[in-house]
This record gives sequence, structure tokens and C-alpha cells, in this order.
Amino acid sequence: MTDEEILEVENLVVRFYTYEGIVEALDGVNLKIRKGEILGLVGETGCGKSVTSLSTLVLVPPPGSIEAGKIFLKTQGKKVNLLEQDRETLRTVRGSEISMVFQEPRAYLNPVYSVENQISEVLLVHRKEEFLKRAIETIKKKKKGSNFELKLYQRMLEKPKSLTTKLLSKFTSKRTLKMELHNEVVALLKNMEIPDPERVAKMYPHELSGGMAQRVVIAMALSCNPKILLADEPTTNLDVTVQAQILQLVSLLRKNFQSSILYVTHDLGVVAEICDRVAVMYAGNVVETADVFEIFNNPLHPYTKALLESIPRPGKEFKSIPGVVPSLIKPPRGCRFHDRCDFAMEVCRKVKPQFLEVKKDHFVACHLYGGSK
Amino acid sequence: MTSLIAYITRRLIFLIFVLIGVTLMIFAITMLFSPEIRAYLYIRNIQHVTPDVIRSVIEKYGLNDPFYLQFSRWLGQVLQGNLGWSQSSAQPVAEAILTRWPYTFEIVIFAAPLIIFFGIYLGVQAGVHRNGIIDHVTRVFSIIGYSLPSFWLGLLLLSVFYGKLGWLPPGALSYEAEQAVHASSFVRYTHIDLIDGILNGQFWITLDVLKHVILPVIVIVVIDIAVLVRVMRSSMLESLSKQYVTAARAKGLDEKTVIYKHARRNALIPVATLSGMLVAGLLGGLVITETVFGFGGLGQWAASAAIGLDVPAVLGYAMLSALLFVIANLIVDIMYAYIDPRIRLE
Amino acid sequence: MSMEPRVKEWKFMLKRVRETPLALAGVAIIIFFILIALLAPVLAPPTYSDPFKIPQDKEIYSLTPNPTPPTLTHIFGTSDQQYDIYYACIWGTITAFRVGLTVVLISLIIGLILGVAAAYYGGILDEILMRFTDIIIAFPGLILAMALVLAFPAAIPINLSSIFLVVSIICSFVIIMARSDRKLLLVTQMIVVAFLVSYIYQPIVLHLEITNLDKVLFAIAIVGWPGYARLIRGEILRVKNEDYIEAAKAAGSSDFRIITRHILPNTIYPLLVVVSMDVGSIVLTAAALSFLGIGAPIDYADWGQMISRSRAWIRNPEMLASNFHTFFIPGLFITLFSLGWNLLGDALRDVLDPMLRRR
Repeated sequence: MTDEEILEVENLVVRFYTYEGIVEALDGVNLKIRKGEILGLVGETGCGKSVTSLSTLVLVPPPGSIEAGKIFLKTQGKKVNLLEQDRETLRTVRGSEISMVFQEPRAYLNPVYSVENQISEVLLVHRKEEFLKRAIETIKKKKKGSNFELKLYQRMLEKPKSLTTKLLSKFTSKRTLKMELHNEVVALLKNMEIPDPERVAKMYPHELSGGMAQRVVIAMALSCNPKILLADEPTTNLDVTVQAQILQLVSLLRKNFQSSILYVTHDLGVVAEICDRVAVMYAGNVVETADVFEIFNNPLHPYTKALLESIPRPGKEFKSIPGVVPSLIKPPRGCRFHDRCDFAMEVCRKVKPQFLEVKKDHFVACHLYGGSK
Repeated sequence: MTSLIAYITRRLIFLIFVLIGVTLMIFAITMLFSPEIRAYLYIRNIQHVTPDVIRSVIEKYGLNDPFYLQFSRWLGQVLQGNLGWSQSSAQPVAEAILTRWPYTFEIVIFAAPLIIFFGIYLGVQAGVHRNGIIDHVTRVFSIIGYSLPSFWLGLLLLSVFYGKLGWLPPGALSYEAEQAVHASSFVRYTHIDLIDGILNGQFWITLDVLKHVILPVIVIVVIDIAVLVRVMRSSMLESLSKQYVTAARAKGLDEKTVIYKHARRNALIPVATLSGMLVAGLLGGLVITETVFGFGGLGQWAASAAIGLDVPAVLGYAMLSALLFVIANLIVDIMYAYIDPRIRLE
Repeated sequence: MSMEPRVKEWKFMLKRVRETPLALAGVAIIIFFILIALLAPVLAPPTYSDPFKIPQDKEIYSLTPNPTPPTLTHIFGTSDQQYDIYYACIWGTITAFRVGLTVVLISLIIGLILGVAAAYYGGILDEILMRFTDIIIAFPGLILAMALVLAFPAAIPINLSSIFLVVSIICSFVIIMARSDRKLLLVTQMIVVAFLVSYIYQPIVLHLEITNLDKVLFAIAIVGWPGYARLIRGEILRVKNEDYIEAAKAAGSSDFRIITRHILPNTIYPLLVVVSMDVGSIVLTAAALSFLGIGAPIDYADWGQMISRSRAWIRNPEMLASNFHTFFIPGLFITLFSLGWNLLGDALRDVLDPMLRRR
């Protein structure tokens, strides 16, 4: 792992144990995310993009399970394998070092709680001490809030785990703390260019439009300044105009906060617009990874080539990839693309190609480029 | 907030409509009988009935008048509290209900909280630990629970705890307590013996009530909790599979918060309706259980009234049940709208 | 085309049912009771011409009318007035099946017709039905059932011709509301046939004798159909707006075809669960009514009826203890019967769940 890289997924294998059989969803996925870059993860529906991003948070839902591989995160200068960590550690990572934004924002917000409630939740989990201190400062400086609150917050800082602290904090109003949180929430919403953030904070998810909800979710994801933002098709369900706004927002984020973004999508247009590097997935494998210009001008893997050729252009004949995506319950042996590949060789049917650096910074998994080393 | 008030008003109107519908239907059923038959309801002493008596009764109470006239008259009577005379219990229907209601209440005041509290708790646990031990055990016990005939369970418990052991007798009060409660020195503040015992400083009466109430409460709880547990469980499973639960985990929330704050609140929605209906049904009287234990509450009275073809009594009881149903619906709707803000827009 | 996935779904469902131990237990219990019902004449040969009449032991009766505990001649003992409990339990099985299945059938038919009509045609029809079911559900069910049982006449004179007329009027109504081009012709044919038939059968009037048990059946069915109507209506409304219905309409399928080939098969699964569990709970309700004395007469082989005698001993601890077998054993039968159906229904519901989510 180089100095620039902050997340590395190594040979990740994920299986789903369903009634119809074992789905080999991810078959040794390799991915590297660098600091401050937007990495696009492209592929058709069902190729494993979402599973990959969920796996980085170790959140694969049952009946799925992560069977093999490593997920390295560079945190506090150290390289840590997330798959070996206990739940406590994982919880400190989720939402604060790695955050996720999902496809249907209103489904990912709890319908019975207000926007403010749900964003404050995240703030309290990861930045609790900071807000306690802020509240204490406010009480001291502005003379707002009671002495009792002051003592309570100090106690919450010093002895957070004691039973008395827990009881006291549960049954008191903590007005100042709530105010601090509220202010932060409004500030976050404003950063997302949400109009009238005071009002939106009090709203419930069903009252928000799609675009608004997505901004709220992004605001929530960024609230603890994560190193990596996982964006799982965040604009797929939105209007094109709203999509453009969100994309603008996303690139601004990278500029202002130096966060890395894993942008999962099936839309090559979006990829071309904002991504720095692109990883192409097919049937549970990453088949090619390269700089965005490289991918578009110089695609190496047959699938990538076919994908780019299938983009409809006026005047050009409509070309699609023959065949269907294979079922992952009994996936084909060897390279999973071989039965639809124009360049398939004998070895492709038998041996799975390795993921190798074929040119500078250009990785491919294909026998055409010596994948059988 | 205004949306909440608007919603409640809308529901209230709807429920008043249902109440009117029920009363109309009840009244229409009585009107199916000829005026002669209906005249009997006004006669207290059936022995000395002649055709002249019947004719005079029909005249006096206007039993041949047009429908709307009779209905408005009857409605007027009902709203004043006069529900007619109950042959089977030889007292006015309204009085019969008022004197018997406290006994049903004594059972429900213990049974309902137990059912709701443990039903929710067990259901949540079963849903969270799907296919775990607690899930399987609650499942088996639930299914057995609602397969049991209530009278059989009651008889079984009675024969063991009363027949063999003599500890927990049937009825609502022992003979001594019965005497004490009707004595002139005893002030019936609420007419609920359980509470009056304490208010009068005679705690032994309250204990006596408790002794009699245990078995019926067990029967009701065992059978009704089963349904609640199952509904809570499946609702919880549904809720846990929702995307906002995954999102909550992705935020780094600890599992307990995810389950209790996020999943459970959404899962409680269908359970709230069920609980409301359940409590309304319980308050309306537990026909079989009260009969088995000879408890003397509303249910037992309604049963004997139905058997005795005591029309005013059955009608009065039907109206009471409808009223309870409507009130329960209203409370459930309010709870609903409080828990789930989306409902307020409907 | 559309058959293949459905066949696969059935096979999948059966496979899952076979794998769940609780479901198997339920099925085993039901089969056990079916066997008893089928073998009843062998297991407990009838004494009277009406096999449902329980034999009394006149010898012991001359000694005492009180129940006697189990002996070799009376395997489960005898009840009040020396009725053989074993006999009552065996033949009571048939009664139980009869009660459960008949009531479910009646409720289902009424509920299906009204529910489908309300859901598919919507509008005022739907509103009226919904309010009507609301009101019936607001009634205290058990009391309503009791009142119905007692109010029913003992014998109904049925005029066959009037039945024909009523049925043909209903069919005409359905045809008129359907979107069919041949409806005028059909309706005319229907009315002509109806009149002819009713003219021929005019003088025939049947007197249908209704036993108390039958009244119980009808009463429970009348109280129960709103549940089915609402369930079916809900399911249909859910399915009605799905895309394949639009597609079928666009392809020109008649309403009848849409209902039978598309809507019903997709809405049937939750219904199966409810039906299965209802058989159990209906038997419980019928037993409760019999227990209160409103159901079967005293010498009729019915589980609930056997237990109703116990009401007399409630305040009598010695009688309760000594006559334990008179209510324990029939009650055990009721519980097991109900348990079998509930287990099956519960297992079906569990199987349905992943199936629904897989859609």
C-alpha cells in the first residue's frame, strides 16, 4: 500500500447463501482508493458494485457473508485490516472514517424521525466530546443554561460510562447541547446548498423531494469529516438536472475536504464527468482499473471495450454485447466473461486471469495481457 | 402540529359515522320484529298478558309509528341513559352494565398491561434473534397458546388450583368479602372492589380480589399474548430488513440503538392497532372466561342475556361494544399519528 | 409462459413446508385426525341409526348418573348421565371437520365474491362494502353469533323457484358489470332460462330442518365473512395496480379472464394461511358456543358439548377434581385439532414471507 492509498481491498470473496443456491457474488475483488481521488466503480446491475461498497463497511447483510480477503484502511498512520477488527472498532470507523450514501435517499432515512434527529445522532456518536465541550463553553461564556447542565456535561466528559452519568443524562433536558447540535446541523445543511435549512431540519423524510433528501443524506455522511465517502448510485433515481447539481456538489467536496470518493454507478457519462480513476466490474470481479482518460481512450479489457462501444451515438449502428450476464450461483469456470468475449481463447475457459499492472497504473485481468502469470 | 389535529378530527368524524351506523343497524334489527313482539319488551310481568294489554302498550310507546320517529325516540332514550329493561337480569340494562363493569375491569387492568408489555418484549427479542432459541420457544408457546380453548384452560386451572389444592377459588369475591363490601360501613368510591378496598383501609378485600383474579388473568394472558407476540415478531423482522436499518448501522450506531430506536419504533405501528383492538375487546367483556370462573362481569351477563334471548340486554351490550371499539380506534389513531408522522397526511 | 413460474413457486413452497419440523408436525396431526374421522365406524361402532348419537351405559346409569372414570369398557370414562366419552371424541372428530370446513367454505365464498367485486369495481360499491364490514367487525362477534343462533328458526321453507330467480338475478348483475360484448345476449338467455325453470319448479317447496349445530355454523360464517372480504380486497388492490394487469388490459383480456388468470393466483397465498388457521379457530369458537349450551344437543357427538356439563361443577371442588377426565379429554382433542391447523398455517406464513420478498 503506497503513501497515497488509504483504502485497499484485496481479493475479497463474498458469498450469499440463498434458498436457490450459493451465490458467488464477489470472486476476489481488488480495489485501491487514493487520498483525495474520485474512483468510479462501473458495471452492470448485479455485478457486485453495491456489495463491494457495503463490504468495506463490513455491512454485508445476511444471507451474505464475507468469506475471504482483506480490507486495509489507513487510519492514524497505521494500516488496519477491517475484517479482523471487533465490532467496537468497526463502529468508530463507520460514519466517521468511511461514510456511505445510498441510492434511494428517502428509503435510507428513518421515516419516523426528523432530519435533525437523524443527523444529530451521527454527531453524537462520533463527535460527542467536541459538542460537550462546545456546550460547556457556551454556558460559561454566554451565561445561557443552568449550572446543573454545566456540571452534567463535565461529568459526561470525565465519567461517561458510570451508571449515574447515564441515568442523569437520560432524564434531563440538555437544552444547550441540543442547541449546539442544532446549529451544527443547520450549518451542515447550508453547506449542501439546501435552502431554508432551519425549516428543513425539522422536516420528516417523506416531506423532502428526492434531490433534497439526497443532499440531506450527503450532509449526514459528511458530518464527521470522513476520509472516504462511498456513494452508491446516488443520482440514479433523480432527475437529470438534480443529478447535475449533486455531481457539482460532489466534486466541490473533494476540493474542499480532500475526501476520497468511491462513486458506484452504471452511468458512463457520470464517470467521464467527475471521476479521476475508473474500476470496471463484471460478474463479481474487477476486470480493469485505470485513469479515466486511459479507460476511455485506451480500454484494454474486452468487456470495457464492448461497454464503450455499446454507448449509443447518433449515426452509429446500435451495438450490444451478445449473451447474458452469467448466473452467479454456478458461475462459469475460468474468466467469467469468456462466453461473451470476442477474443476468448482456450485458456480463458479454464483459468481465471489474474489482476495485473499491465501498463503504468493500468490494471487488467485478462489472458490477452498475460493474466496467467 | 395542526396536521395532527386535523387528522384526529377526520378520524373522529369517521368513527362517529361508524357508531351511528351500528346503532342504526341494531335498531333496524329490532324493527324486523312485529309491534306485538316488541311490545313484550316493555312488559315486566309476562304472566298476565292479554291482547288488550299488548294493544295499550303499542299505543303507549308508539310502536306503530314510522321508522324515523321510533328511531329518534329510541336514540333520545339511549342518550339519556335508558337502555331498556333486561329480562334475564331483572334490572334496567344500564344498571346491569354499570354494576357488572367493575368486575371485568378488575381482570383487564392486570391482563392488558401484561399482554402488551410482554408481547412486545418477547416479539422484539424473537425478531431480533431470528431462528434463535427464544424465537423457537416463543413460537411454539405462541401457537399452543392460541390453539387452547379458553374454557378448557380455565377449567384445567380451576380443577388444579381449586379442585385439588383449594387455593384460588372461582367467582369475583369470597363470601366474607362480598358481605363486607355491601356493608353500610364500606364506602364504594369507585365501585371497583380492588381499589375501594385500599381506599377504605380494608386491604384484605383487595387481596381477596387478587386471589380471585389470578386464574382468569392467566387464562386471558396466555391466549391473547400469543397473537401479539407473533405480530410483533413479524413486524420487527420486516422493519429490520428495511434500508434505514442498514443506513443506521453504516452511521456507526451501536446495535442496541439500531434495534430499539430505529427498528422497533417502526415495527410498533401495526402492533399498536392490534393492541388497541385487543384492549377494547377485553373491556367489552370476556364471555367465556367470565362464565367459566363465574366472575359476574359484563361477558357473563351478555352470555346469559343472549341465551335468554334478552333482546334489550343484547342490544345494549352491542352498543357498548361498538362504543368501546370506536374509542379504541380513536386512541389507536392518535398513537399512530404520534409514532408515524406520515399518517398525519392521510 | 406464465405457468412455469407458478408451478415452480408451488414446488418451492411444498419443499419448504417439508423442511420445517413444525409444519410437518401440523400436517401429521391433521392426518391423524383425518384417519380417526375415516375410521370412526371401526374405532367406535355406532349404537343407534344416527352415528352421531352417543351411546349411554344404561347399566351404570341405573346405579348413578354421575361420571365414572376410565375403565376397560369405557376407555375415556363416562360423562354426566353415562355418555361414553371415547365414542363422543371419535365421532366428534367428524363433527369438527364438518364444522371447520363448512364454515370456512361459506365465509370464503361470500367474502370472495364481495371482496373481489368491491376491489375490482371500486367506487361506491367498495365504499359501501367497507363501511358494512366495519360495522360488522365493530359488533362483539361471539355475542352476535349467539344471538343469531338463537334467533334462527328451526326450519326454513325453501322455495326452489325463488332460489333460481335470486341466483339468476345475481349472475345477470355480474354479467352487466363485466366488460363483455356478448353480455346482452347472455343476460337475455339467463333471464329466459330462469323464468322457465322457476315456472316448472314452482310448486316444489322444501322444508329444510336446521339443527342447532347448523345454526352455529351459519352464525359463525356470517360473523366471519367480513374478514375474508377485507383480506381479499386488500390483496386485490395491491395486485390491481401492478404492471402486468395493465398489460393484460392493453392486450384486450376480458375482466373475467384478468380476474381468474392474473389476479386470483397472485392473491391466493395469504388466503391459504388464513384459511388454514381459521379452521382451527372456528372449531374453537364452535366449541365455545357448544360449551355455553347453544350448540349441539346433549347426546350429540361434539367435543364442546361434552365439556358443557362441567359448568355445573364450577363451584364444587370435589366434582371438579373427580370429573377431571370429562373435560380434560375432549378439550385435549379440541386443542390438538386446533394446534394442527395452526401449525400448518404458521408454517405456510413463514414460507410465504421469503417468497413474497423474492418477487
